[in-house]
Amino acid sequence: MERYDLIVIGAGPAGLSAAIEAAKNGLKPIVFDENARPGGQLFKQIHKFFGSKEHKAKIRGFKIGDDLLAEASENGVQVVLNATVMGLYPEKEVTVKIGEEIHHYKGDSILTATGASENMVPFRGWTTPGVIGAGAAQTMMNLHHIKPGNKVLMLGSGNVGLVVSYQLLQAGCEVVAVVDAAPRIGGYGVHAAKIARCGVPFYLSNTIVEVTGDEAVDGVTIAEVDRNFQFIPGTEKHFEVDTVCVAVGLSPMAQLLKQAGCKMKDTPGGFIPECDEYGATSVPGIFAAGDVAGIEEASSAMIEGRIAGAAIANYLGYLDADGLKEKENSLEDALGSLRQGMFAPKNRGKLVTKTEEGIDTSMNLLEKGFVADDEIERYPGVTHTVGIHPVMECTQNIPCNPCQDACAKGCISIGANITSLPVVKNDVKCIGCGMCVASCSGQAIFLVDEDTGDGYGTVTLPYEFLPLPETGEKGIALGRDGKKVCEAEVVSVRSAKAFDHTNLLTIRVPSDMTMKARFYKRA
Amino acid sequence: MKDIQEKRKEIGPFIPGPDDDLLICRCEEVTKGEIRQAVHAGMFTIEEIRRFLRCGMGLCQGQTCGKLVKGIVARELQVSPAEIEPATSRAPMRPTEMRIMAKDGGDDRE
Amino acid sequence: MDRIKTHPILGDTEEGKIVNFTYDGQTLQGIEGEPIAAALRVAGVMTHRYTAKKHEPRGVFCAIGRCTDCVMVVDGKPNIRTCITPLKEGMVVNTQYGASAEKEES
Repeated sequence: MERYDLIVIGAGPAGLSAAIEAAKNGLKPIVFDENARPGGQLFKQIHKFFGSKEHKAKIRGFKIGDDLLAEASENGVQVVLNATVMGLYPEKEVTVKIGEEIHHYKGDSILTATGASENMVPFRGWTTPGVIGAGAAQTMMNLHHIKPGNKVLMLGSGNVGLVVSYQLLQAGCEVVAVVDAAPRIGGYGVHAAKIARCGVPFYLSNTIVEVTGDEAVDGVTIAEVDRNFQFIPGTEKHFEVDTVCVAVGLSPMAQLLKQAGCKMKDTPGGFIPECDEYGATSVPGIFAAGDVAGIEEASSAMIEGRIAGAAIANYLGYLDADGLKEKENSLEDALGSLRQGMFAPKNRGKLVTKTEEGIDTSMNLLEKGFVADDEIERYPGVTHTVGIHPVMECTQNIPCNPCQDACAKGCISIGANITSLPVVKNDVKCIGCGMCVASCSGQAIFLVDEDTGDGYGTVTLPYEFLPLPETGEKGIALGRDGKKVCEAEVVSVRSAKAFDHTNLLTIRVPSDMTMKARFYKRA
Repeated sequence: MKDIQEKRKEIGPFIPGPDDDLLICRCEEVTKGEIRQAVHAGMFTIEEIRRFLRCGMGLCQGQTCGKLVKGIVARELQVSPAEIEPATSRAPMRPTEMRIMAKDGGDDRE
Repeated sequence: MDRIKTHPILGDTEEGKIVNFTYDGQTLQGIEGEPIAAALRVAGVMTHRYTAKKHEPRGVFCAIGRCTDCVMVVDGKPNIRTCITPLKEGMVVNTQYGASAEKEES
C-alpha cells in the first residue's frame, strides 16, 4: 500500500488550493479526482468572479482554474484523474478505483474536498428527458459546446439559476422564464438585472405544476403558490419549451466523511462534518474544505483550502504554530470579507430592507429582477452631471470592489468596506475609457452622456453576446425591465484585451431615455 | 425516538394524497405514496425505508433522492429533517462492477 | 440540438476529429472524446433508456456522472454513464431497457 503525506479527495478549487499550500510547506500531496479533468466546477464558470483582488475578482472562473492548475503543477502537486475514491476509513486509508482496479492508499493526513451535488425538486414529469439540472446545462454548453436546448425554463432564482440563465442566453438559447417558489429572488440583484434587461421574465411565488411531453419535454405549466407553497388554482401559465432547468440549491457531498466516522451535523445548509476553523474534523488527520464543509462560493473554497493546507502542514510538523497563525491571519480577513453583506450566511433567507448605507432596498429588484426607474436614483452610484460619467446601478451590499481600482482617474470609490455601494466622485473628470464598465462582474456600470447637444445622449453598456452589433446599425433600446424604451443607433463597439470579452456598446438615444435605456437589441 | 406504536398513533393513519404517485427515487422508481405508507407502517429511519423500498439503493446511491426522502419522512413524522436518523454511508461511493470489487485484495494485493 | 461554434466568452470551438458510431443500428457521427451523451443530443436523441419497472423514458439529467439516468448499453455493457464516457470510433451504443439492450416483452 502506497503512503502519502497528504491525500486530497477532489481536484476542485478547495482541494487544489490545499494541495498547493501543503506542497509549498514541503509535503508531498496526491490529489484524486473522479472526473476526466481537474478544476471541479471552475471550468464551467465563464462569468467574472466577485470579490477583491485577493479573491481574483473580475477574472473569469475558468481562467482561475487554469491559474490554479499551473500553480499546482509548479509546486509538484500530483493530480490523478479518473480516480474515484470509493471509501474513506478512520485509519486514513482510502480505496480508489483507477481503471479496472481498486487501489489502497494510506495518508498521514486526508483532505476531503468533494464539493456538492445539486438539489432536486420533484414535480409531475420531472423524469422526462429534457428536464436537467442547471449544472448539466453548464456542463453541456461551457465544456462540451452544445446547446442544452432551444427554449428553456429555469426553476430557481439563486445565483446558480441566474448565472446559468445568462449563460444560456450567451449560448444562443431562449430563456422563457425564471421561476421560483420563494417570494423573492435568491441570488445577487445584479445577476437578475443582467437577464431581466434582456427580456427574461421572472415569476416569483410560482413553481412547476407539470412538465408535459411523453418522450421529451414539450412544455411546462407553472402556477402561483401561497405562503404554504400550495398551488393557487386558476393561476396556471403554460410555456412551450424543450428544456426545463432545475437550480434549487446544492448539498454538500459529505458521505465519505461520515463513512470515516467524522462527527457530522445536520444544518439547514446540508449534512456537514463538524470542523474547527482550520477544517479539521473530529477524526485526527482528516480535514474538510470547500462546499463539502458548507456551501459557499468558489472564492471562499480556495481560501478555506489554503487554510486547511497550512493546518495540515502544521499537523504533520512541517509548519510551526507561529507560521500557521500568520497564514491564518492573512487568510481569515480575505475569507471574512467574502462573508459580509446582504448575502452573508447570517442573512440567508432574510429580507434585508435597507442597505448598510440606510437606503431602502429595491423591492422591484427582489420581485421582478430589475430596479424600477423611480427607485434607481436613490443609490449613490447613480448621479447626474454634464458630460460622460459612470452610472453604477449597484444597489445591494455584496463583497466586490474591482470598479474602484478600474478607474485610473479615481472617479469611483467603495472605501475600506468591501460591501459598500460604489460612490461616484463627480469632481474627478471621467474620460469615458470604459474600464469600469468592463471590470464590473455584475455588469451594473454604464457610461452615460445625458446630452450630447442635439437632444440626444449616449449610453455605453456591457455586451457579451454574439453576433456583435455593428457601428451605425439601428435597433431598439431596452429598459431595465427588458421592454422597448426607444429606437437606438449603435455609435461605437469597443473590444479590448483588457475588457476580457466584455464588449462596450455605445448607443445613441434621445436625452430623456439615457437613464432608462440599458440594453440593445437588433431591430 | 419514542415508542414506535405510540408515534404511529400520534401521526395518525395514512391518508392518501393527490401526489402519492409522484416518483421520488428515480433509480428504483419509488413513489412518494410508498414512502409515506412505509412511515405509517412504523419505519421511521432512512435505513429501514431504504431496505424496505430500495429508494436510494439504486445505481446513483441516493445522490438525487436522499434529501427528498428525508424531507418526506420528516413531514410525515411531523419533525424537522435534522431529527431523522441518516442512512449509513459505506463504500463503494460510486457504481462499480462486481468483478472489479471482487479483484480487490486490499493489503495483500500484489 | 446545435453545437455552439463560436461563443462570446469561450471563442471558437476547437474542431475535433469526427468519428462514426452506431446508435440502435443507425450510424451517427460525433466528435472523438466528447461524451457519448453530447453526440447523441446533437443528433436529437433525448431518450437514453427505459426504466425497469414503469418502462418510462429517461435521458441526461445531471451530465456529470452522478445521477446515472443517462446509462445505456455501450459495446455490449449495460449501465454505462454516457454523460462521462468519451466517444470513440466504432462504438456501439444501444438504448437500455431495464438493464438490457433488448426490449422486454410486455
